[in-house]
Amino acid sequence: MALKLANVTKSFEAHKVIDNIDIEVGDDEFLVLLGPSGCGKSTILRMIAGLESVTSGEIHLAGHRVDQLPPSERDMAFVFQSYALYPHMTVRRNIAFPLIMRRHRWWFHLPVIGGLAKRRIERSPEVREKVERTAEMLALTKMLDRYPRTLSGGQRQRVALGRAMVRQPSAFLMDEPLSNLDAKLRTAMRAEITQLHQRVGGTFVYVTHDQIEAMTMGSRIALLRDGTLQQFGTPREIYETPANTYVARFIGTPPMNLIAAEVTQGTLTVGALRLPLPDGTADGNCGAVWLGLRPGALRLTALGAPGTLPGTVCLVEHIGAESVVGVTLDGLHTAHDDDGAPTREVMVTLPGYAAHKAGERVGIACDLTAFSLFDRSSGARVGGDAARS
Amino acid sequence: MMTRPAPSRPQATDTAAAPDRSRWTAAVFVAPVVLYLLALQFYPLAQQFYLSVTATSLLDPSRQTFVGLENYRDILSDPEFHQALRVTVVYTLVCVAGSILLGLGAALLLDRPFRGRGIARALVTIPWAAPPVAAALIFVWLFNAQYGLVSRASQALGLSTGGFNWLDEPSFALPAILITTLWQIFPFSAVVILAALQSVPSELREAAVIDGADRLSVFKAVVWPTIRPTVALLALLITVWSLRRFDVIWIMTQGGPLGETNTLVIDLYRRAFVYLDLGRAAAVGIVGLVVAVLVTLIYFWASRRAEAASGKR
Amino acid sequence: MARFRPFHAAAVLALLGVAAFPLYWMFVTSLTPSARLFGAAPQVLPDLSQLPVYLDALTSTSLRHWLFNSMVVAVGTTVLSILLAVLPAYALSRLKFPGMLLLGFTLFLTQMLPEAMLVVPLYDIFARLGLLNTLLGLILANTAFTVPVVTWILKGAIDAVPSEIEEAAHIDGCSRLGIVLTVVVPLIAPTLAAAAVIAFFHGWNEYVFAQTFISDDQLRTASVGLASFVGELSTPIHTVMAVGFIYTLPAVVFYLFVQRYVVAGMTSGGVKG
Repeated sequence: MALKLANVTKSFEAHKVIDNIDIEVGDDEFLVLLGPSGCGKSTILRMIAGLESVTSGEIHLAGHRVDQLPPSERDMAFVFQSYALYPHMTVRRNIAFPLIMRRHRWWFHLPVIGGLAKRRIERSPEVREKVERTAEMLALTKMLDRYPRTLSGGQRQRVALGRAMVRQPSAFLMDEPLSNLDAKLRTAMRAEITQLHQRVGGTFVYVTHDQIEAMTMGSRIALLRDGTLQQFGTPREIYETPANTYVARFIGTPPMNLIAAEVTQGTLTVGALRLPLPDGTADGNCGAVWLGLRPGALRLTALGAPGTLPGTVCLVEHIGAESVVGVTLDGLHTAHDDDGAPTREVMVTLPGYAAHKAGERVGIACDLTAFSLFDRSSGARVGGDAARS
Repeated sequence: MMTRPAPSRPQATDTAAAPDRSRWTAAVFVAPVVLYLLALQFYPLAQQFYLSVTATSLLDPSRQTFVGLENYRDILSDPEFHQALRVTVVYTLVCVAGSILLGLGAALLLDRPFRGRGIARALVTIPWAAPPVAAALIFVWLFNAQYGLVSRASQALGLSTGGFNWLDEPSFALPAILITTLWQIFPFSAVVILAALQSVPSELREAAVIDGADRLSVFKAVVWPTIRPTVALLALLITVWSLRRFDVIWIMTQGGPLGETNTLVIDLYRRAFVYLDLGRAAAVGIVGLVVAVLVTLIYFWASRRAEAASGKR
Repeated sequence: MARFRPFHAAAVLALLGVAAFPLYWMFVTSLTPSARLFGAAPQVLPDLSQLPVYLDALTSTSLRHWLFNSMVVAVGTTVLSILLAVLPAYALSRLKFPGMLLLGFTLFLTQMLPEAMLVVPLYDIFARLGLLNTLLGLILANTAFTVPVVTWILKGAIDAVPSEIEEAAHIDGCSRLGIVLTVVVPLIAPTLAAAAVIAFFHGWNEYVFAQTFISDDQLRTASVGLASFVGELSTPIHTVMAVGFIYTLPAVVFYLFVQRYVVAGMTSGGVKG
């Protein structure tokens, strides 16, 4: 139980921006707070850090309640989106700054004497060694005496990480730290941060809107929307057993297909298709549902083959390793956005270059090895099965 | 550009022709203001230069006798001019330091969020909007010997027995002028510093808080480095303005008592219009101008050095 | 967020008190009859029954003439400054030409020239041109000091206009002058307003030239007229303060209305430039 949020709520006036969040992760976990912009993920991170107050609820770190402590006493480090390096200090001073502040006394504010005292701390073997070991870990040794503005984006990012690491905090908090980097560097830094987590340990809390970052880096993901927690689980749980239609469609590219269906007497009816519901996957009489199928779980067959839904190809996109084919289903409706505006399309991913053309008539085979069922009106998960492997 | 089918002329002509044409455009655009300033700033300035090497009286300004550097020699050995230099330095330094300290304090107060902040920010600038002549008038009344509020208050507090007018007392006149000036100009510093404070990155401030910095440390590590260039430029502006300020001082004391508020500008005006000595007046003006230019050059030199020091290693 | 902090609130109130008190005191004094003015204790609250003093001030003194003259000088200075400054500001911001740096430095240099220093030679020039004792002379002299500031401020605003907009107009066949007048000027309107206010205040407040160049009582400006009360004993103090308040109030009220733009203009162009 390294980090625990219990009933955390934040309101501005009467408006609740964060509503009753419960999250608990163990030591050495990598928690990702995921969601679209404005969902409150950054606010939660800032509440953990102490930059925002908590309206009600509690935050515990390493067994201590911290939500009323000032930020500097919470034993956490924060990596900002803009890196927030002190522009007039060298890399060395930037990294040493938290250590110097830890030993800060009021008389350090005196001119000259204070400057000398700070320099003495910076040059003390203990601080020196910590700074240099951190720099070495991040390949910053050669840049220790340079100023931040002479560094590249990736290097600045590493200095920001170094400033966080040098304090050896119980928790690292990161607010979209990679979003200012270009795509290639972002992939490299993603791996670097994951490795860093494995090496230095501690609880990481990482805010992002990028589902790839969340899936690749996180050991736990908390998916948020409008200040409420949609689902909290491992990346695999979130991908395979999404808790509602929102989660189902937020994760995965292209997102999960949702097809209108009925469940009665143990049978799933999709258009003209009637499929027996596998045992123990859902209540046999749950009524109107969305049948959720990942684009990879669908196959294209000849029109009219048994056990298929008829449709017309409306879109073909070749990505390289796979192709995405959009198919308009005959007489069935599907959900494509949050508003549930009726459409009739599903997306299918096929390996390699698919030879299909727009306008072609096809059949879609849906087997129930991996699927989800969501209540049609509430969107909540009512059943389903994950592929066994 | 995109829609034009196969450009009829190569691009190179386009860009090569541009600077030439823009040079003419620039000449036409700039000419009126250049001519205006030449006529009403630089021609008069040149005349002052010339006057400063002549002996000329206001009673007969057309009779100008060339005397070389004699006027300069005279004023440089004139105790009245020495006093004017001293008063100018004190006046300018206190104006700069005082208005920046007051402005910084006000800006920090008004930077924090509170209800009615917008109104407070507007109200604090009132003194800057008040005409200097009106400000002088109010403060002359406030410093009035018998019925002025300052005198009444200091008697009530037992600080002085009889009432006296600050503006008539050699050791109180300059402070009185400074109080008036600072009241007028500190809002300008406040507004400028307030604007600079907006550009302090909030993430940097928060990073320092998380790193355990107390309020003063946050100010020194994050706020001050960000606003320092603005404060330096502000200091230059206030210096230059203080060196040329005339109305408030002239109306309140005319340089008196005993020359204790006699700044260079007042001295020059007195020499011209009271002593009718245009030659020496011009020489005083030229010396003042040289001081202003030197201060400015020092400022640019220092700010470039500061930039170089914090930029490269 | 906006938690109530007593120390902070007290400090802000003290600050506003310092800023506003002298003007408040001017107002109170203007409403205090002489008898009470010289009494044992000062009157602290304005006595609104004395408001007719203001009507008195407007009729008994030359205040109306003064205000009219000040207004003419201020408006004239504003119009002339803007007319002269727009094109060079554009040139400094957008065009490259030899002597650009020199012009920039020259504009800054004029900030160091005290009005009091140029009074004598300008007096000489204006005497020859017959501009002494005219409001036009004052406008010309004031503009020489406002044009550099206005140019700097406008240059700062034009720097911030994206050049793509101009390029689009250029491709649409607009001439340079057309671009400045139809594209750039509307885009910098708020800063233009700020610069205009600064020029206006300069004209409204100016003292040295008005004091030296004008000898005709009919042409005195308010600043000189007001200054003539200092040290003079025949006019009652409350009348003097009423005149001063009438002279100050329009400036302050006008400023409060536009202060947002003025502050933005001063800080973007005037300071960063």
